[in-house]
Amino acid sequence: MSPRVAIVQFPGVNCEAETARALRRVGLEPEIWRWTRAASELEPFDAYVVPGGFSYQDRVRAGALAAKHALTETLVARAEQGAPVLGICNGAQVLAEAGLVPGGGGIELALARNRMPGRAGYHARWVHVRVERSHCLFLSLLSPGELLPLPVAHGEGRFTAGDPARLQALVEAGQTPLRYATVAGSLASAFPDNPNGSEHAVAAVSNARGNVLAIMPHPERAQTAGALSRAVGGRWGERRDAALGGVPASAAVAEAEPAGPGLAIFAGLARHFGLPVDGA
Amino acid sequence: MSALTVARERLAAARRLLGLRRLRLFELHGPLPGATVIEDLVHRSTWFYNPHKERCRVRATPRSALEAAAGEQAVLVVERGGARRPAAERWWRHETGAAIEVCEATTWLLRFESGEDAAAAARALAVLESLGRGLLCNPNAQDHAIAAAAEIPLPWIATVGEGE
Repeated sequence: MSPRVAIVQFPGVNCEAETARALRRVGLEPEIWRWTRAASELEPFDAYVVPGGFSYQDRVRAGALAAKHALTETLVARAEQGAPVLGICNGAQVLAEAGLVPGGGGIELALARNRMPGRAGYHARWVHVRVERSHCLFLSLLSPGELLPLPVAHGEGRFTAGDPARLQALVEAGQTPLRYATVAGSLASAFPDNPNGSEHAVAAVSNARGNVLAIMPHPERAQTAGALSRAVGGRWGERRDAALGGVPASAAVAEAEPAGPGLAIFAGLARHFGLPVDGA
Repeated sequence: MSALTVARERLAAARRLLGLRRLRLFELHGPLPGATVIEDLVHRSTWFYNPHKERCRVRATPRSALEAAAGEQAVLVVERGGARRPAAERWWRHETGAAIEVCEATTWLLRFESGEDAAAAARALAVLESLGRGLLCNPNAQDHAIAAAAEIPLPWIATVGEGE
């Protein structure tokens, strides 16, 4: 029996279906788990994903109300027991608001409003993230320095901390496994490569143990090569073109397509459970 | 589920919270016209509020009428380094030729059951500290201030932010 992964769906979450598809592609058994069920029923799962969307309509702050939910207490308890927990976009905001990342006790981070020159608010685009040295289980199939094209889509994605030295310390501790980068692979200090003004170009933060990851880009939207933007070049662009074979993306059959760059995040989870991960 | 419901269910300081209202607070600084002209401009613009789902009241002096009810506590939450609204400033310059500074922040109006120490409860709800304590302001990115809602200062954002 495959490891069971709960996709925790708070009201307003809207990325649960594609997240389930990505988990299924790597051999895991996902279950979309609605917030109306008892928190105790969440405990038996092997791993957890809090997907993207707009939980509770982003009231107060993105992720702030979901972080107060009883289900989040269960996630905290299971993470302390070592269960993998992945928060994507709004899910990352929930994990930050709950203190699951960086997990040093208290609430040490915020995912604040985007800072972009000459514009404000929600912003969506394809960016590159660079894999950094870490022992985060979700990144175990990727090598430091590797570049992944992934889409971002958020209004509050700027990692920041009350203590100005905290994020730098997390970088040095290997708890920022993904950072925004230019297409050439250097860290992205400015818009648009750094799409939100995130400090130290941080795109994802893990806890010290490496079993909890809060990631702002959407790996589930890049689970197939054919899903990549036409703007993505390099070897991933070639894979996209090969996957589509000249057929418009809308006509491609997603399940049969070669893996995209985002699938490696989910495959890292499968590897953690000892599943074969060829092709991810 | 509303923020009020979540706060009442999950936060000890909100057990006796009866009402939680959100105001978007703008402050305009610079060479401003009279209150009537300001009202006309603000109501005409799309940068400040949506008249189909929001109401807007202009306060020209600290004594101007407030939206708050007696006994409410006001918690101001300011995005650190992000209160300025350049688009609104550009619109104002286009309409009037005047260069002004527009700042925006959120103000929460909290109403508690009688007998509750409203000021203390508002303080406990204001700053996010842990899963079970605080909600309205994440101190990693935001600053806050608290006042009796009937005495909301004017200006207020400028006294809390870093004076951008």
